Amino acid sequence: MSQVEYTKERKVGEGTYAVVYLGTKQSSGRKIAVKEIKTSEFKDGLDMSAIREVKYLQEIQHENVIELIDIFLAYDNLNLVLEFLPSDLEKVIKDRSILFTPADIKSWMLMTLRGVHHCHRNFILHRDLKPNNLLLSPEGIIKVADFGLARTFPSAQEILTSNVVTRWYRAPELLFGAKHYTSAVDIWSAGVIFAELMLRIPYLPGQNDVDQIEVTFRALGTPTDADWPDVSFFSAYNKLQIYPPPSREELRRRFIAASENALSFLCGMLTMNPQKRWNAVECLESDYFKEAPAPSDPFSIKIS
Amino acid sequence: MSSKFETQLLLSRPYLTRKQLLKLQSNTITDRRTYNQKKIAIYKFLSDICIQLKFPRRTLETAVYFYQRYYVFNAFETELCYTVATSCLLLSCKQVETIKKANEICSVSLRLRSAGKVTPDIIDNFKKRVLQIELRILEACAFDYRVNNSVHIDEYVVKMGRELKLDYQTCHLAWVIAYDALKLETLLIVPQHTIALAVLKTAHELLHSRESWPKFRYSAFETDEYSVSQAYFDILNFFINSFSICDLRENLPAGVPPVSIDTFIELKKNAGHEFGLKEASDDAIEADAYLTTPRDFSIRERRYVLSPKLVADEAQQKNFNNHR
Repeated sequence: MSQVEYTKERKVGEGTYAVVYLGTKQSSGRKIAVKEIKTSEFKDGLDMSAIREVKYLQEIQHENVIELIDIFLAYDNLNLVLEFLPSDLEKVIKDRSILFTPADIKSWMLMTLRGVHHCHRNFILHRDLKPNNLLLSPEGIIKVADFGLARTFPSAQEILTSNVVTRWYRAPELLFGAKHYTSAVDIWSAGVIFAELMLRIPYLPGQNDVDQIEVTFRALGTPTDADWPDVSFFSAYNKLQIYPPPSREELRRRFIAASENALSFLCGMLTMNPQKRWNAVECLESDYFKEAPAPSDPFSIKIS
Repeated sequence: MSSKFETQLLLSRPYLTRKQLLKLQSNTITDRRTYNQKKIAIYKFLSDICIQLKFPRRTLETAVYFYQRYYVFNAFETELCYTVATSCLLLSCKQVETIKKANEICSVSLRLRSAGKVTPDIIDNFKKRVLQIELRILEACAFDYRVNNSVHIDEYVVKMGRELKLDYQTCHLAWVIAYDALKLETLLIVPQHTIALAVLKTAHELLHSRESWPKFRYSAFETDEYSVSQAYFDILNFFINSFSICDLRENLPAGVPPVSIDTFIELKKNAGHEFGLKEASDDAIEADAYLTTPRDFSIRERRYVLSPKLVADEAQQKNFNNHR
């Protein structure tokens, strides 16, 4: 082959471990995103996030998960070729000129949960779900992206770090510093995203890690041993202010446009006890998705 | 070649047959005897680091796969092999999520090899060299993370042993044999769960009669008779040809009768005709550019893909463009 297959045309973003370019796949003319991994700048070599991203995206192929098209080395830099996705849910939420309906929210939640379910049934925890990582294709399809913190389901005795998930979307077990947790951490994040979509402002915006605990429990009640056995064994538990859980009426007032099924769906995802929290299948089978209005056709949602 | 091509598309082949490996290694290994001797020394060295840093077996296994795979596509030089091995271990830690700081791994690596004082400057210089090799190792594996991801021999010895209702002693013995199996090139030839099945079979035959090996379909374990047989005979041949360097001898689980070369010769005799993976003809191997052309790392864009469909689609697209 006489010419390079991928071009990088415009820098569209820069993160801690990578620079993202908009480019073209020459043989097909397809628009793509090239994530150039900064290899030399890390004191421990190739960054774990890059390794995880490749490892899990190679494993997962689903309509609601970003596609890893190719991997290439150029000038000794590692480049990941990903499908080009021009927008994300954070941009949509923040852009006040975009109006969206409960049916649109339902469509986005359905696509997100399908992507998350696919990860979970392949034994992969995403561990960083947030609106910014839910990208939108030109056809309006949600794609779960950024697998830099993902990992496979741990075996029973394996110790995990609780320093995962962006603070506002962090599940209570992570706030308590749990060393063993499950796919329920992703469902909690999905619940917070659902609340944010309905409110159009972040639902649990803690200023720091300590404040996050306060904000979370003030909004949703402090868990007790009665509904989450042994929660008081977490060392951070003793310092907590005890708040009662919100009544159904309080939730109705907070989420004015939400139906009863939408509130049950929200409560299922934001259940304090991770063992009682809904899993991805329970979420997808929720009555919320069965009642009117039906989820919007993604292509019909106007996001620009 | 490099001046003509700006881009190269390589389809991952995570496993190769013995003949394919030999063909590739003929480009990279000039002195096979030295390579094999060093490989045993490197295995001991990597094991020692893993023990010091309390890494599980899967970290060692992945590092050994990386090390052997690296020298399939890169020239073997005795001076550099400890640096390569350290780099393989660092990468393996990332791959199997047993994270340790590069400094810590480099420091243990240096201390195990040199009698002198290991200063921070020495560690820093060594680390730089180690980090430079990381990407080259991944290139040798075509960035194929399907291998060494979630299937590891020791874990599958337990899982399959339980599934086949084998007793504890058999599984324990298989786990010890699996440590020796990592010294073989079999890791590059068949997947780890197949090796797990082969070590279980070996262990079972050392403790019980050959006839009592459970009857099951290999496809139920996502493998086939030829692959298992390849690994099984590789293991038997190792104990027959290299019994003096095996670790099994000194680490037999309690209650297991002593083993010798004769024990394995007897096993092989009872196993019947030796067979394994089907090899391609010499002509086919000579005609396969993947095996005969040394890797050119000066090509500007080196692409690594896992899907044969992607390669086929792209070739079709190129033909279409050329004919337009």
